[in-house]
Amino acid sequence: MGKRPLAVFVLFSIAIQANAQLGVMKWVGPNSNKYDLGFGGFIKSGFPVSDGSDLTLELGANIFFMNDGYGTADGTIMCPLKAGYRYTLDGTGTGFYVEPQVGFNLVGVTSLHDANGNQINLNYHGVVFAAGTGFLFTAWNAPFDLNLRYETVIDHGGSNNFISLGISRYISFGKRNTGY
Amino acid sequence: MKSYFVAAVVSILLSSCLKQSIPDAMLASKNSGGATATLSYKVNGNAVNISVANAESQDTNYYTLGCTKSTGGYSLDGLSSSGEIAFTFYTDSLAIGNYIYTANYGDMYFVSYNAQAEYVHGPTDSMSFNITSYKNGLISGNFSGQLTPLVTASTINNIFGVSGSTLITNGSFQNVPVFY
Repeated sequence: MGKRPLAVFVLFSIAIQANAQLGVMKWVGPNSNKYDLGFGGFIKSGFPVSDGSDLTLELGANIFFMNDGYGTADGTIMCPLKAGYRYTLDGTGTGFYVEPQVGFNLVGVTSLHDANGNQINLNYHGVVFAAGTGFLFTAWNAPFDLNLRYETVIDHGGSNNFISLGISRYISFGKRNTGY
Repeated sequence: MKSYFVAAVVSILLSSCLKQSIPDAMLASKNSGGATATLSYKVNGNAVNISVANAESQDTNYYTLGCTKSTGGYSLDGLSSSGEIAFTFYTDSLAIGNYIYTANYGDMYFVSYNAQAEYVHGPTDSMSFNITSYKNGLISGNFSGQLTPLVTASTINNIFGVSGSTLITNGSFQNVPVFY
């Protein structure tokens, strides 16, 4: 795994260039004490199905570094592809919303060192579930999405769980007066 | 919409009941299937026993009991509190069969017991390893030998003790991992 500053820079660059989202994440549940704060970048788009709701599609990349003494050599990368249904509470397509998501983890890699000092790379996929809430607003004539979500990836009888706080320049396909 | 969100929340709650992260679950699965490697023998009637649980997960550079492919053959090595045993299978492809080293090939070290090194040296000395099983990267079998103690090591002429005075008997090894 690369150096942390480089990884953050790459994520930031990708997010800006794609008008996508940046997030800071906290691993929760099993193994949460082994991880520092994580970072994520993802592209999210929506297809309006009514004035107050969208079908969303999101492709992300999440990076978590371990605090096990091996520096940035150990950590976890996951790239989930998720579909969701975003529903604004007031039915206008703006303001507060809730959004359940389901998907598939396209790439999952955890690098760590075992008790003998051997580096191990564990590769997996898994189904993804997420539930989030957020706030859609406009700034500088551009739609933004400030959101908080809980996400879990399930595979091999275990789960990687994390909470994410993110902000995005939202991309919407389709016509709606609000522009979201 | 409400039903979708409830379903997503329930799914996430259920997944959060999983007690392990994905990496831990994968490692547990990997380690639970690991075989215990054993090697035992007697040096002039004194028993030596080596046992390593999950032997396949040993550091391939610093293992207690294992067999490593090296130039010209495969080197089986076992470490115990009383010393070590080493045997090289001179073959390009390790297989079931009997491998014998005799004095005709020259002096060769095989065993150290209580800091006493034992060699194939005398005209009737030999060390024989018989691989009776080789499955799933694990070898099992038996061995015996007649060796000569090295009394004084020298860069010019080693001084050996009574020829053939060290007997290796009741040699047995099970599930010794072969590392490549």
